[in-house]
Amino acid sequence: MIRFSHVNKFYGSYQALVDVNATVNKGEVVVVCGPSGSGKSTLIRTVNRLEPIQSGEVLFDGQNVHAGLKSAELNRLRARIGFVFQNFNLFPHLSVLENIMLSPVRVNAVKRGDASQTAMRLLDRVGLAHKAKAYPAQLSGGQQQRVAIARALAMEPPVMLFDEPTSSLDPEMVGEVLAVIRSLAADGMTMMCVTHEMNFARDVADCVWFMDAGKILEIGAPADFFSNPQHPRAQRFLSDLHVR
Amino acid sequence: MSMLSNMITIIEDNWLLLLIGQYPNGPLGGIASTLILSVLGIVLAFPLSVLIALARLSQWKVLNWPATALVYIVRGVPLLMLILWVYFLVPLLIGDSVPGFVTMLCTLVIYEGAFLSEIVRGGIIALPSGQMDAARALGHSHVGAMRYVILPQALYNMMPSILSQFVSTIKETTLGYVINVPELTFAASQLNNRLLTKPFEIFAILAIVYFIVCWSLSELANQLEQRIARQRLGDDQSGTGMLPPDAPKLQGAT
Repeated sequence: MIRFSHVNKFYGSYQALVDVNATVNKGEVVVVCGPSGSGKSTLIRTVNRLEPIQSGEVLFDGQNVHAGLKSAELNRLRARIGFVFQNFNLFPHLSVLENIMLSPVRVNAVKRGDASQTAMRLLDRVGLAHKAKAYPAQLSGGQQQRVAIARALAMEPPVMLFDEPTSSLDPEMVGEVLAVIRSLAADGMTMMCVTHEMNFARDVADCVWFMDAGKILEIGAPADFFSNPQHPRAQRFLSDLHVR
Repeated sequence: MSMLSNMITIIEDNWLLLLIGQYPNGPLGGIASTLILSVLGIVLAFPLSVLIALARLSQWKVLNWPATALVYIVRGVPLLMLILWVYFLVPLLIGDSVPGFVTMLCTLVIYEGAFLSEIVRGGIIALPSGQMDAARALGHSHVGAMRYVILPQALYNMMPSILSQFVSTIKETTLGYVINVPELTFAASQLNNRLLTKPFEIFAILAIVYFIVCWSLSELANQLEQRIARQRLGDDQSGTGMLPPDAPKLQGAT
């Protein structure tokens, strides 16, 4: 469903992604982990071209994301990729309901009544139906992130990308967001998730990618990766986490 | 003390002239004209300023370059110079003489358009980049993201600055005096020519009127600014978060 082949990305002379090759299959949950600055977020942002790349290919459903797309085609492609940000990025001037309805109505030309029904159903699913009329500033971080997930789901994307969805949350709110992501995984949603939550990765992932310095150093099933990491950098990373 | 009573007498005898000029026997003038000129100037300059700001933020050189040039030129030239240019140039272009009021209005729209565009541009840049990322990730075009996500927030946050610019505009209308635009300063000057012996009193009245109008509007801008700052912190008294439900023109953006 998503295929990276020989992806290279530079910020000036700094190389953020180094010859990345990997595939996310339909229905698969991939967790990307690794130390800060290893290029995890950059990698996930190349999937819907929020970050440009300098060479290589990113294919989504067989379509090359970074070349040969007209801007309208790129917009259509982005509408089919759900993206959840570390900082939620809800629209503060719109109510929760309007945040979720905006894109179905304006991008997919869904009727307002239908969009509103879908939005309420999704809010119910993330346990926030009673907050439909609230504004983002009135919600806790965990609630905002759950609304952001509902907003992404409202576009009915076949794939969801999560860029450190719990990293800017207070510890007691991490669980409620992970529970929503777990339920999506249980429904068979194709997902790619950058996270530091290793227990979550162990439970939910079908496949773990370990990155450092812009390279994917190890790809493996969670059972193998967590109990028996092959790469010395991955061994050090995991032991550092366990010490703490 | 006698000066104060002189001022009161002058106001009692001439308040209508200061309020509406020689209307209905002549063109509308006085403070009414000043305010109409300022309001029209800022209202017409506003959409222009949004277009200039978007052009300046555009990656396309065809849009970016002329808009940037316009802003730099207007900012680098005294307003009086611009007034004189419009005064002599517009009749040449149209081939007909143009009333002073219209000349002044055209000048103000260009001048305020350029200055407001910098405020609009600042308001757009000041928003977190995540807002644009989120809108684009949901599939909105650049224009759609601007219209539904960026501009409603930026314009709301800029309301105090726009009001301050309106205060500047009121003060700038006084320069219309040099091309005989009938407004408040012009009315006071007419009065001075008639009474001859009381310039100090007349121009004191003029200063006080301008001060009252501009000070109260500045005060309004300050209060608006504090209210918006409180809302950004999420603890505004209305308890509705970033945007109160009664906020104008921001509802129903979907």
